Amino acid sequence: MVARRQFLAGLGLATAATAAPRFVWAAVPTDRRLVVVILRGAMDGLSAVPAYGDPDYEKARAGIATPKPGDAGGALNLDGFFGLHPQMKGMAARFAGKELVVFHAVSSPYRDRSHFDGQNLLENGSVKPYGLADGWLNRAMGGLPTQVKASRKDLGVAIAAAMPLIMRGPSAVSSWSPSILPSPDAALIARVQALYGETDPKLSLALSAASDAQREAAGMSKSGDNFPSLMAAAARFLKAPDGPAIAMVESTGWDTHAGQAGAFGSLQRNLAGLDAGVDACAKEMGEAWSKTAVLCVTEFGRTVAMNGTAGTDHGTGGAAFLVGGAVNGGRVLADWPGLKPGNLYDGRDLKPTGDLRSLFKAALRDHMGVDPALLDREVFPDSAAAKATEGLFRDT
Amino acid sequence: MSLQDAAIAANRFGLGARPGDLKSIAGDPRGWLKAQLTAETALPAPMAALPSTKDDVTAFQRWIVASGLIKSVGAYQRATAPGAPHPGAMMAAGPPSALAPAPQMAGAEPPNTAPSAQDFTGTRVIKVGDPDFSVEKSFVAWFGPRYVQAVSARMNVAVDTERPFFERLVRFWGNHFTVSSAKPLTQASPPSFERDVARRHAMDSFGDMLKASSEHPGMLLYLDNYISAGPNALLVKHPALMPPAFRAQIKGLNENPAREILELHTLGVRSGYTQEDVTTFAKVITGWTIKPQGGAGGETGLFNFVDALHEPGAKTVFGVRFDQSGVTQGLAVLDMLAHHPATAHFIATKLVRHFVADDPPPAAVDKVAAVFRDTGGDLKAVSACLVDLPEAWTPRPTKVKPPEDFVVSVVRALGGPKLSGVQLTALFTRMGQRPYYAAGPNGWSDIGDDWIGPDPIWKRLEFASAVGAGMANAGLNPNTVAESVLGPSLTVATRDAIAKAESPAQGLALLLVSPEFQRR
Repeated sequence: MVARRQFLAGLGLATAATAAPRFVWAAVPTDRRLVVVILRGAMDGLSAVPAYGDPDYEKARAGIATPKPGDAGGALNLDGFFGLHPQMKGMAARFAGKELVVFHAVSSPYRDRSHFDGQNLLENGSVKPYGLADGWLNRAMGGLPTQVKASRKDLGVAIAAAMPLIMRGPSAVSSWSPSILPSPDAALIARVQALYGETDPKLSLALSAASDAQREAAGMSKSGDNFPSLMAAAARFLKAPDGPAIAMVESTGWDTHAGQAGAFGSLQRNLAGLDAGVDACAKEMGEAWSKTAVLCVTEFGRTVAMNGTAGTDHGTGGAAFLVGGAVNGGRVLADWPGLKPGNLYDGRDLKPTGDLRSLFKAALRDHMGVDPALLDREVFPDSAAAKATEGLFRDT
Repeated sequence: MSLQDAAIAANRFGLGARPGDLKSIAGDPRGWLKAQLTAETALPAPMAALPSTKDDVTAFQRWIVASGLIKSVGAYQRATAPGAPHPGAMMAAGPPSALAPAPQMAGAEPPNTAPSAQDFTGTRVIKVGDPDFSVEKSFVAWFGPRYVQAVSARMNVAVDTERPFFERLVRFWGNHFTVSSAKPLTQASPPSFERDVARRHAMDSFGDMLKASSEHPGMLLYLDNYISAGPNALLVKHPALMPPAFRAQIKGLNENPAREILELHTLGVRSGYTQEDVTTFAKVITGWTIKPQGGAGGETGLFNFVDALHEPGAKTVFGVRFDQSGVTQGLAVLDMLAHHPATAHFIATKLVRHFVADDPPPAAVDKVAAVFRDTGGDLKAVSACLVDLPEAWTPRPTKVKPPEDFVVSVVRALGGPKLSGVQLTALFTRMGQRPYYAAGPNGWSDIGDDWIGPDPIWKRLEFASAVGAGMANAGLNPNTVAESVLGPSLTVATRDAIAKAESPAQGLALLLVSPEFQRR
């Protein structure tokens, strides 16, 4: 990109070019890859990313606070105010390597506390649960650069046994998950395809995408089904030259209502799995990691205070991660609302001060080259107030 | 005499026709369905052989004691974390050939490996310190056999039942009130929960089923109500009165069970209740817990109300004031919820979506909701009303079967293959519907289109191909089977495709993946 910028400067166009949104002058990014990870169940953002520098943190989180960096089981320092949970050593190294941006006090527009409505809205991209019947990630694929659309059969792949809402919609996407049965023979596939083509468009479309995915996945059927294996599988799809540009992976089990930090704790294992998953993806991507961004989001945060069963209940503001070789990282982005009782949302939750859609829009526009006009109109209707966050990606 | 209606009754309302079913139903398909709407006089044999509720509910605690893990907090923590290895995952990861055409696929009996009712926890407890100890191995050795037996029982009942509409209703309610094995603490609970709540009350009033669910130890464990306590309850004010192990866990309120009862079990989300309603209702049901070992009153492992954990005082939920004290306060709120018009509408919508269409026709929902309201939630009358909906009798199959129902209908149609519990577990896991392992308390999706996707369709094709190969060897004629189980629902295109198949194996596979077999 440096060469291109110097070239523009030589023509005296640098000022005009840099003043315009980047997509105008950047080479159309046809080699970029995006992984979207949904952490289902509501990740406790204040455990994943403890704000240990906030003078109210320890008190507000009595019983479940992550100790300060340096103390036993202490947080991994990020910037002197925020840290990462001690299980996230790989992510901490990526932060140091400027590959990770951490977002805090962010949320979708959803303000109630149902997992299922919250996930539905997070995935449908509108401002209400069931506001749209398909997913924003799929709709965004319609605005990918023409070269990307022309060179790939499927623009996206879900690493999942069922197609998640975020991936449903008009664009061609596939899905894949590990199998234990032998593949059907080609003659049977052809006959089934003919039958579906004649009688059932939905099944026909699904089978056709499945056949493509199976070709791309040749040799992957022995893959395990834990989160790091699924992240590695996503990477294998993405790094193929004509493979999908976008992958979606799910992680479940983040709903920590009881004993989240104590003897029954589950959060530690989930965070370690997330950390290992990002590492597995990076390793499998190889050189293409430099063109890759992984976005990890959850439906909402959890209550600031511990509940009566040593866990946390459904909340509002939470944390998100953007990590990858293409990411301009090493920063925590948060308009920190503070943890004093008076600063909490509804007197109980971390107040959301950032909109996840700003992050989504930036990833789609600046990383994937999605037509910005489409973003406010079709991908995220009624989102004009949530402007794309600037400067999240390197000029690669 | 209507073969078309018979096909709808057997496939849309039932679990799939067996050869010969359509002819015997055709005289009175609606009558055949309504005749199934009677309470069960005895449990189906495979269900009766499953462990008791108490055995299921206490299995986890007994495991951590028997294995010695209770002394090792680190290992215990790893074992209890969601995402920790569980029998389903371990078995699904089994040999890649677990479902390849094998002797079992040709209809032969698998070896009888089911443990006796007295020996559900396997042959050996793998303890901390044993040479082959790992948390995973110990967990699987303890829970694996009972899980596999439960999955087999569920399958066998579905395949053999003469009351498939009743079984569909049991499964519907078991999914409406989800308790999932995905949480290690409730790993063993769902089968007894389904039996005690959904099966036992499928023909009672909705209020009875709601009460049974809310009091069931499986649900109390799954949604953590067993350790939720009122902020002003005696034991929260005076924790020294509790044994240390309890003190560490019981500190106050957990709002989650109340939220899920309102959102998922009764009123439905966005029906107008507030955060305040959630919190207050959570206080109402504090003290609804499980009797621990050695405690007073009731039977260990089963429901127990502990007034010393209950938030005292009158409370107002959803605009209604409840002055009762103790357990009767919660029962009164549940009764209010069971009879609320929002609940009638929510349940009617779910039932019509389940049996009729992904987008439930409003007129049909209104009819079912009216019967629900008029009868005080009589589930027998409500179920009969579904049969009377004209919208339910459109000839063209619409909703794609979920994976489990698809596999059940294959085995009913072909009379095989006979799949072992381990094979079933592996198969369902890869198809995205491991029995009793719904990801969250909202259960499995009831939207047919949610089960359509590239990977799900591929998994079905893999299965159909393997089954076709195995069952063709058993001498089945795909043309005959297709006519017999689909009747007038069989399209010309599918009939032709089967007739032109290269082999009986391919013909059977084509039948099983055909749109009219995938849908109902």
